Amino acid sequence: MKESNLTFTWRMMLLAFLLPPLLILAIDITFYGSFKGIDSNVSFTRFSNATLTAYMLCSLFLLGNLFFYGESRNRPLAPLVGMFFATALGVVATVFFIGQGPMLLEDNGSVRAQAIYNVVHMFVSSGAILVAMGVALGVTFSAITSQKQRNNFELEEE
Amino acid sequence: MNIRACSKGMDEMLVALFLFWIPVAMVPLGLWYSMSSPLKNASSRGRLFAFTGVVLICISPWTVPSSPSTAAGHLLGAIIGPCMLILLGIYLISFSGNVPVGKLPRSDRKLGVLMTGFGFIWLAGMHWWILTPQLSPNEVNHYWFVFWPTFIILTSCLASCSAVTLLMIGEQRKAESNAMFIVSGLSFSILILGLNVDGPLITADEFREHLWLAVADLAGITVGSLLSIFVFALVIYSYERSLPAPKSISPPTESELKQVSTLIASHLGGEDE
Repeated sequence: MKESNLTFTWRMMLLAFLLPPLLILAIDITFYGSFKGIDSNVSFTRFSNATLTAYMLCSLFLLGNLFFYGESRNRPLAPLVGMFFATALGVVATVFFIGQGPMLLEDNGSVRAQAIYNVVHMFVSSGAILVAMGVALGVTFSAITSQKQRNNFELEEE
Repeated sequence: MNIRACSKGMDEMLVALFLFWIPVAMVPLGLWYSMSSPLKNASSRGRLFAFTGVVLICISPWTVPSSPSTAAGHLLGAIIGPCMLILLGIYLISFSGNVPVGKLPRSDRKLGVLMTGFGFIWLAGMHWWILTPQLSPNEVNHYWFVFWPTFIILTSCLASCSAVTLLMIGEQRKAESNAMFIVSGLSFSILILGLNVDGPLITADEFREHLWLAVADLAGITVGSLLSIFVFALVIYSYERSLPAPKSISPPTESELKQVSTLIASHLGGEDE
């Protein structure tokens, strides 16, 4: 028996992804009448630190990738220099914004301490993201392989 | 964990560099070497290098007790067991099913389910039982508050997204989609339990606070990563655009065209059986 497929839309995918946090918000509003436990200042600080650190580390990783890109192009210097400056901009922006005072300084006493904390925090978050992705992809794969083998060549057999 | 600015001797910083940060760098370097080097035995040497890095990170709370960053090493040591159990279990379940290559015996399926279930129970025991990673008695490792909510909420989000994707893209994948909805629902139930039931060392309010911080973290990581990918693409695009246009060659002559059409004609059609 044929099942009818849903129409593919990015909006639907995004909504499915955001469904769990939205549900928690909905439950909170229903039972407590407010967004319980959300401190917008602390959340903003964490968001900003995560953005700056992710930009810095991801740029560093991509800068490393440019070496491989250059291998097939007689190692041009221009993109390497461009990406180096983009990465340096990230580092300077991180130090500058953390140095502005309590806005991005969490419970740490200095810019260096906060920057190191951000990097270690990012490693832990990245670890959690990798394990979650491993679980989601792995369970999807195992759900597919656990079904009976399909025959896609029915017409050929006839 | 609070990292307070304090005057540290050079020795302490050097010890942290050699026994924490260099091992941290050894992990990606070892993996990169094992995957990319064409040399014989490079794969095993690279893996050994990365493994040594992981071991050094795990023991860093004892080798570099003065550095607050080593709390991440302590967390790694605490969660590596259940995480490996979960991932190995999923591997066993996946490859004991209908796969064309690398098929494992059917009996491995039960072992896989057991390992995955035990891994999740172990992680849940870290929240609601006595297994919580503690730096000292009753002092919960701060990074556990980062890892646990991030892992649970992202698993729920990704499983929900995967379930809907299977319904939208897959052909007759309703059973698989339902399995993913169950995984998403289970993760969501753990979240709801965490938001309402206190553990011996972690209260529901603490978990709630850190859950929203994890959401802010995930949003920040997404924005930062996308921004750097955009800048990377912009750099490549600008460089490629600045290159001179490749020299165009003269159009084919009559004789060349004839030769090509003869060649094509000789390869068209087929023999009757």
